[in-house]
Amino acid sequence: MSTKPFRPDVDAPEYKGKYAPYDIIREGTIAVIVVGLLVVLLATLFGSPDERAITIKTWSNANPIDFATTALGEMNGSTITAQYGGPYNTAAPGQNLGPLKLAQWAGVTIPVNTVRDFVINPLSSVPNDPDLKLALAQWKGANSAQQTSWVSNYSKGAAKMTWSHGLINVPATNVGPVPTIINKLTQMARSGALDQALVTGSGFYTTNYTKPLLFVADGTYLANLAQKQHLLGSQWGMMNETGSYPGQAWLWLYTFWYQVTPFSTSSNADVQVSALMGLLSLLLLLLPLIPGLRSIPRKVKVYRLIWREHYSA
Amino acid sequence: MAFLWSLAAFIPLDNYGHYIHWGVINISVANFIVVVLMIMTFVAALLLPFPGRNRRKGNQ
Repeated sequence: MSTKPFRPDVDAPEYKGKYAPYDIIREGTIAVIVVGLLVVLLATLFGSPDERAITIKTWSNANPIDFATTALGEMNGSTITAQYGGPYNTAAPGQNLGPLKLAQWAGVTIPVNTVRDFVINPLSSVPNDPDLKLALAQWKGANSAQQTSWVSNYSKGAAKMTWSHGLINVPATNVGPVPTIINKLTQMARSGALDQALVTGSGFYTTNYTKPLLFVADGTYLANLAQKQHLLGSQWGMMNETGSYPGQAWLWLYTFWYQVTPFSTSSNADVQVSALMGLLSLLLLLLPLIPGLRSIPRKVKVYRLIWREHYSA
Repeated sequence: MAFLWSLAAFIPLDNYGHYIHWGVINISVANFIVVVLMIMTFVAALLLPFPGRNRRKGNQ
């Protein structure tokens, strides 16, 4: 008869000691009740309040110049959304993992044309405004080169943009209908109508906030608020909460990678960090099957500290 | 519940948080306290004797 050699990480020796009764149901019930009470108590004491949502209305009223500058950026294609690539457009290759062109393979699944979706279409829904109607007709009647020329000329003066008497003023010439479009969009935003138009653009009953969120994120207003609350990615923001409330401390490893090279300087950081965390999670999941790693608990001997009564007997 | 809310009002958490910077590490004081408490709970779970140890000994 052949005897297989004893494998310390896989085989368990036969237990020949004494046995004692143990009511695991009672212990488990007590643990669930105690932890449940602790969760309710700590959530009441330390649960962070829901901050009021930042809308385009609040943004454009707080900082109309930032809003108008961003709206112009949506028209001249210089915003993050306009240059992002997949899943919104084909302006950039999007994120990839080494040779795997993940964003390109997925394609444009949420098409966003920033000029059409953020500016022209919302303005087209405004009723009873002859000036706006004329400006939109002039815009739509012009060819692409003419539109680019108007926006380019307006953008050259945008650094000297001012806000007075409810109007955006930019010192620029040969700009066609662009000043009217930017001013009407700013007025629409300040009234709250743009928030509504961007949401209902994909149907009357909808909870799809993709477009207003992208628009707000293209400006500097939201980023400045986030920076004050330590919520930016570069500030370990993933594990922080608003105010002084405790946050998601368990996300420390996920956000840690974003702080160190090569991830902190990579344009593919999201997909790289996700892949790395997936690999590390897989290692943890398969720990009992990995020689060497699975020996660590046996060699560290923490179990002898927990069951010290047994081992001291 | 009203008592808990009044108790929560004694802990001012709505102001901007304080943060600990150490090299690349940047952690809020609130998160740091939570992490320290978790480590202390883990160490306590290792070192404290099992509840009911004496009773079980008496039964043997």
